Amino acid sequence: MDILVQQTVNALSLGGTYALLALGLAMVFSVLGLINFAHGDLMTITGYGMFFCIVAGLPFPVAVIVGILAAVFAAVLMERIAFRPVRDASTATMLLTSFAVSTILHMLFQNLISARPRPIPIPSMFAGAIDILGFDIGAIQAISICATALLLFALTMFLRRSMLGIAMRAASLDFPTTRLMGINANAVISTAFAISGLLAGVAGVLWLAQRGSVDPLMGFLPVLKAFIAVVLGGLGSLSGAVVGGLVLGIIEVGLRAFLPEELLPFRESIALSLVIILLLIRPEGLLGRKEAIR
Amino acid sequence: MTISRWLKTTAMSAVLVGAGVMAGPAVAQDTLIIGYAGGHTGYLAPYDQSSLKGVQLAIEEINAAGGIGGNMPIELIVKDTRSDTAQAQVAAQELVDEGVHVMIVSCDVDPAVASGVVAQAAEIPAVSSCASTPTLPAAVGPYMFSNYTADNLQAAVLAEYAREQGYNNAYVLLSRDTPYTEKLPEYFSEAFGNMGGNVVMTGEYTMGQQDFSAEVTNITGLDPQPDVIMTSAYEPDFPAFIKQLRAAGIDTPVLGSDGIDSPTTFSLGDVSEGVVFSNAGFPSPGSSLEAYETAYEAKYGEPNDTIFTATGYDIIKVVAAAVEQAGSTDGAAIRDAWDNLEDVQVATGTMTYKGQERVPVRVVALNRVSDGLREHVGDYSPDPSQIPAP
Repeated sequence: MDILVQQTVNALSLGGTYALLALGLAMVFSVLGLINFAHGDLMTITGYGMFFCIVAGLPFPVAVIVGILAAVFAAVLMERIAFRPVRDASTATMLLTSFAVSTILHMLFQNLISARPRPIPIPSMFAGAIDILGFDIGAIQAISICATALLLFALTMFLRRSMLGIAMRAASLDFPTTRLMGINANAVISTAFAISGLLAGVAGVLWLAQRGSVDPLMGFLPVLKAFIAVVLGGLGSLSGAVVGGLVLGIIEVGLRAFLPEELLPFRESIALSLVIILLLIRPEGLLGRKEAIR
Repeated sequence: MTISRWLKTTAMSAVLVGAGVMAGPAVAQDTLIIGYAGGHTGYLAPYDQSSLKGVQLAIEEINAAGGIGGNMPIELIVKDTRSDTAQAQVAAQELVDEGVHVMIVSCDVDPAVASGVVAQAAEIPAVSSCASTPTLPAAVGPYMFSNYTADNLQAAVLAEYAREQGYNNAYVLLSRDTPYTEKLPEYFSEAFGNMGGNVVMTGEYTMGQQDFSAEVTNITGLDPQPDVIMTSAYEPDFPAFIKQLRAAGIDTPVLGSDGIDSPTTFSLGDVSEGVVFSNAGFPSPGSSLEAYETAYEAKYGEPNDTIFTATGYDIIKVVAAAVEQAGSTDGAAIRDAWDNLEDVQVATGTMTYKGQERVPVRVVALNRVSDGLREHVGDYSPDPSQIPAP
């Protein structure tokens, strides 16, 4: 029983980080129809932002804020430089553009910073565990779950209450009509990228707090997981991205925790098979709309 | 970070380092040409770039003294494989076409084999910078050599240490994603078992997995509890694993391998305190490695922060010894001499190839993380009968 509760917390914490990333991908996809494969590199940028702050002797909280802001800034810049010129091009062109952005960033990190991982010392308060109702909850895991919940709440409020948020929701349903209503497309798209940068930045901090170093290729795996989460949840659905991230986290942790030792080598393929089965049952994703943009 | 470094890497494929002469097809007979087809960008860059620095330092020293045996300068041609296996083959072919006499290939087994078979076909001796799979030379053929500490040797040293400490029950964590992360822990399990230990459980992870909570929670549920945890996981997996392990209140001693000999491990604070890991040498006062570190700092203006530069330096010392023995730049002659080398003095100690099927015997150092610094536990050369067969 103890182990079950513990593993549930583990699953929520990992799933939460996936959800943050998936939501960032989905935000951009819903307004632009673009899966941004350079999304994971925003996490890497957060990492380098933190690394340089710590080298410069700034306190850890400042490094965290600078790291997240760097991701926001980079996301907006990415849109302005790379994606705006190809906004009206085909989906394939935009997809390739995002691959190009990602590759260029890897090369820049490797050649201008270092190919080797750079350490980011994490204060010991993040290393300990908190005792909640007799369960040892890792500090990073508790922070992950709280940060995810808080961000989701703030984002929901923003999308429901603010003018730009409402415009974004409208744009995700029907961008051409939204523009005819007098909504500035650039503002909506820039905001979507800024928010995706914020989400990637926070996810980046949580990710880095676990691994303690940043390296040029760090963003690749997370963006892959986020992509699976987005597809699982339903392309074009924001709440779907969150659900997809959580479900993926639960599947992964569940398999790693409860598979018998002799089946462990197959856990990744079992996880992906489960995702495929879910998609066979619900081809449009868990929360996807039938008419969702493809 | 610097522009010059950027330019150097970008122009890597065209740049000749070492003697500083452009290699044309017409090269004087009395120059030894070494080709280095390595992953100088991509995922192998941390290792192959480091090896290259040591290689360059050794060539510079030898050339400053007039060359091998005082009269045969070394020229180095560097090709970037971008850590890509297909490109590793292409780069090796280009080096063969440019007439290299000896080839250095990547740190990872797959690209090393890809380049190695090309060198083998051309009967050019090749050596992997730091691939540690003991079956690598046999997989390619008689012209392929290893340079780095083999996984089974390293594992035997860790097992010997674990038994010395009185550890009876071990938890072993491995990943089947690479031979290094899979075989080294398996060799450890075998050696530890042969020495009377008991492996309680073998956990598995996926490289790059950021969350180890499931594995850690499983460890807390083990009966009997392990006395020691062994893994060959490295960055970013090792820091993530040990952080979550310690966060869960498990203070079992942890043994790691040379993959974690990096600044990150030493910056983890309390979490990594006391971790014991193996690597290819320790710069104790008066040792050859200490002298090497001084020379390194003088050349590059910054202290050496990884053993992989020293093992890169070792390659050139071994090649120089083989060529001097052979007395020619002929591939077959160098190969035969290399295969019979004994006790070659290198930066990390000595290396012997004679009777070892082209996998060198070298000292394995054990180190402990202590107050964020490397503390020397000791140098180990296990009894050959205790080393698991590859």
